[in-house]
Amino acid sequence: MPVEFKDYYVTLGVARGASDDEIKKAFRKLARKYHPDVAKDKKLGEEKFKEINEAHEVLSDPIKRKQYDELGANWKEGAAYQQPSGQQARRNGTSHHGQADEFHFGGTGFSDFFEQMFGGRGASGFSPQGNGARSEPFGQRGGDIEGDILVTLDEVMKGAVRDISLQSSDPQTGQSKTYQFKVRIPAGVREGQRIRVPGKGGEGSGQAVSGDLYLRVRLAAHPDFRVRGADLYYDLDVAPWEGVLGTTVTVPTLKGQVNLRVPPGTNNAQQLRIRGHGLPKGKNEGNGDIYVVVDIQLPKTINDEERALWEQLAHASSFKPRSES
Amino acid sequence: MKASVFAEETSLTLVCVTEAAPTTYSLEAAASLAGIHPEMLRHYCRLGLFGESPVGPETELIFDDDALCKVRRFESYRRNHGMNRKTLRLIFSLFRDIEILQTELRFLRA
Repeated sequence: MPVEFKDYYVTLGVARGASDDEIKKAFRKLARKYHPDVAKDKKLGEEKFKEINEAHEVLSDPIKRKQYDELGANWKEGAAYQQPSGQQARRNGTSHHGQADEFHFGGTGFSDFFEQMFGGRGASGFSPQGNGARSEPFGQRGGDIEGDILVTLDEVMKGAVRDISLQSSDPQTGQSKTYQFKVRIPAGVREGQRIRVPGKGGEGSGQAVSGDLYLRVRLAAHPDFRVRGADLYYDLDVAPWEGVLGTTVTVPTLKGQVNLRVPPGTNNAQQLRIRGHGLPKGKNEGNGDIYVVVDIQLPKTINDEERALWEQLAHASSFKPRSES
Repeated sequence: MKASVFAEETSLTLVCVTEAAPTTYSLEAAASLAGIHPEMLRHYCRLGLFGESPVGPETELIFDDDALCKVRRFESYRRNHGMNRKTLRLIFSLFRDIEILQTELRFLRA
């Protein structure tokens, strides 16, 4: 199945040799612009946000990036990608006649290109009652299928209903069928969690039931937050004197901005907790927290007056960062 | 599936939403969905397929979609590829480690 090539470098607006830091910065800049919560055109913003996330997903991962770069060298603009023969079975589920059906997902937040190149890691299709296995009285249960679904933090907060399409092709007959259905993403889903969609896997033979579809949650990268379980982490840049003297800053949360007091004597990498502003933990279990990670920034250049003040401080201060043992 | 009901003025549209299945299952329900005997599922728990957790005759075992997915994979590998339980235990332990490391990597790279 021909699939249109995606130039992830163009999507993020970075050079092919861009460093990890440049890619991260480009992603954050674009993600802030197109984040569905802030974009003026919500639908366009959502599409762009997914494209940016997909590009970041590949280019921020050295293994995926290498794989993409090696293939990308053979690409020309507008060329169509033909799946390498070694990857043909990646997204397959075993059908009842022992031949592998091919499956293509839509609406998961990942493009067909991404799905075919990087999707289906691990066991993507499996059938407990496949070859040599016990059969049901009136046929064999269909195989299960596994795919990834990109979920935004907003969807984790509120839950969502997503339109998914699944196209299955029988390589023997060349026939393909497309199924469309809606899947509810429960609030509070976690990175890597699987959502089971009963009966949407491979078709069973005879009167046997179809297999299930398992959608593995991949959380969309957020321009401000990193996610660990139900907790969010926000990196806060702080001036040295703010760390020493303390200050009050405004910090974004998924529910709006909050004021946070940075106490005097706050050290680099110290974490300040905003309780209950993280992701939902599950049904009626409250929310996780936001951890604000202090990142003390030093000025790269200083003028003469600043230098004189730093030197004055160096002479006057009794602070000794290294022990004198 | 969409269906228009009643007259134009009071039309009602029904939309079929495929519910994500309940997120937890009892031992019996999980075994039934996985196509194995409940005692076999309990045995898998004792083998440590789902990590180290107390598994006794009186222990109430609860399974989620991840666990169900794992059991079905386990059964598929065992039946279709002739892997023995010791090998599978090792494979799933490695799967678990990889998933933990991948999650941590994604956190650090974000």
